Amino acid sequence: MSALAIENLVVNRTGIPVVRGVNLIAKAGEISVLLGSNGAGKTTLLEGISGVIPASGRIALDGADLTRSLAGHRARAGLSHVEQGRTVFGEMTTEENLRVALHPSASLDQAYALFPELVQRRTVLAGMLSGGEQQMLVIARSLVGLPKVVLIDEMSAGLAPVVVGRLMSAVRKLADSGVAVVLVEQFAALALAIGNRAYVLRRGQMVFEGGCAELAKDPARLHHLYLGDAGETGAEETRQHA
Amino acid sequence: MNSLLTPAVAGLSAGGAYAILGVCAIFTYRLVAVVNFTGAAIGAAGTFVMVALTEHGMPLFPAVIIGILAGALVGVMIGGVMTKWFSGASATTKAAVTAALLVGIIALGLRLTGGQRPHLFPDLVSGSAFRFAGVEVTWGSLLTVTLAVGLTIASDLFLARTRTGLQMRALSERPMAAELIGIRVRVLALAVWGIMGAVTAFAMMIIAPLRSPDFMSLSLLVVPALAAALIGAFRSFRAALLGGVLIGIVEGMVSALEFGARFRGVVPFLVILIVLLWSQRGARWDAAR
Ligand SMILES: Nc1ncnc2c1ncn2[C@@H]1O[C@H](COP(=O)(O)OP(=O)(O)OP(=O)(O)O)[C@@H](O)[C@H]1O
Ligand SMILES: [Mg+2]
Repeated sequence: MSALAIENLVVNRTGIPVVRGVNLIAKAGEISVLLGSNGAGKTTLLEGISGVIPASGRIALDGADLTRSLAGHRARAGLSHVEQGRTVFGEMTTEENLRVALHPSASLDQAYALFPELVQRRTVLAGMLSGGEQQMLVIARSLVGLPKVVLIDEMSAGLAPVVVGRLMSAVRKLADSGVAVVLVEQFAALALAIGNRAYVLRRGQMVFEGGCAELAKDPARLHHLYLGDAGETGAEETRQHA
Repeated sequence: MNSLLTPAVAGLSAGGAYAILGVCAIFTYRLVAVVNFTGAAIGAAGTFVMVALTEHGMPLFPAVIIGILAGALVGVMIGGVMTKWFSGASATTKAAVTAALLVGIIALGLRLTGGQRPHLFPDLVSGSAFRFAGVEVTWGSLLTVTLAVGLTIASDLFLARTRTGLQMRALSERPMAAELIGIRVRVLALAVWGIMGAVTAFAMMIIAPLRSPDFMSLSLLVVPALAAALIGAFRSFRAALLGGVLIGIVEGMVSALEFGARFRGVVPFLVILIVLLWSQRGARWDAAR
């Protein structure tokens, strides 16, 4: 059974529908990679799912309908959202960042096992950590809440390739532990390499759903999915007018 | 010597109360990001509930407890307004809203308490605790200062050591991220308002007999409270504690001066002015260059 099931989701921004009727499922133990060009609506979709902004349609977690619940309730139900931009609590230490999110039956060791580099940064204010460390911290903070589903938005933005590799393998381990991961990523090739299912969003609508391997083999197709007929934008307009 | 020491010590109980109110103002600012002009008015409401009950013959102890609970309730109600409609607003807007609420509460409070009609404020504690260098130190001043110190230490410990304190710090820094890790944001915010209401109400009960005891004067004690908070830069509980006590002492000394008595109320304004000018010194220095 899928942990997260999204049906016909519509999310508005300043009254304009930015996500328009999206379906998506994320299964436990799998990484669902969500791709799309800048402004396609990936962040908006994740925010609609986690409840940062209201959405209509249907959001179900392990069969339970969460569409009407507030963000905090969804989080406590096991839906975790690692936001774009590394939202650490900068005036708290690394360990405090983890402790504040700690589920009663989780332990900090789980976080430190996934990211050993955080151990020696325990007592450092999170605001003083490097970008990579902050990204590790927000993922670790999510996992100590023992979520069923984790939505991760642009974790590799602005990070060195070696750090991105570190994060990718950690996310794979997180999924292998039984969590359903939805990964929004600009580095399509890296994400497809660790992912299971792939989705491509274009102008708020899903234009592809299939296996990651299938898409990884065919960069030209991916390029086309990203941009639509953008290479031939004129052509698309013409066709519509015709 | 004694001519200055006596009034200085006399200012201690007011100072302790200012310190408590100042610490509460910082607490509210740090945790729910509101510069709260209604702080003292919330406490005044609780105090007048207590007074109304004792005037109707209720014994002091239960009246005080009910008064404190009333303070908490009024705090939660104001907090409810702030979290429901203004949680996304800027700090300036929120401060303006509490200033407007203050005006409303004062009007309502004066109406309900019979305007300037004098009330009988019972002394919660009275008498002299001990003599120090020939000066009487009252139980009242001892109690407020002890409470202020206790509250300051407890506030620091609470935020540093407890899980709820940790959650409150997370909430104050990034409300959305806090909600996304499952913190009960609204409950916590209302708890802050309620606790502040209760503490303020108690502090006001102690200081009320020393003041012109009408609803407006008590509500306007928010001025020395914010002056104390300002000394702590709306951040440091300890600096606010010292600031509050200091304002009380200076007030006491000023009112002992022959021409000073009428100007006692000006002291907190002067403190605010001096602190603001001091905090701007860097900017003015840069501008002058
Ligand atoms: N706060 C906002 N108010 C109004 N419109 C917004 C807001 N944020 C984003 N948008 C618009 O919504 C659309 C989708 O934005 P979104 O951030 O979801 O895209 P994205 O796929 O995450 O892009 P990126 O890859 O750049 O992060 C864009 O057209 C953007 O201009
Ligand atoms: Mg985005």
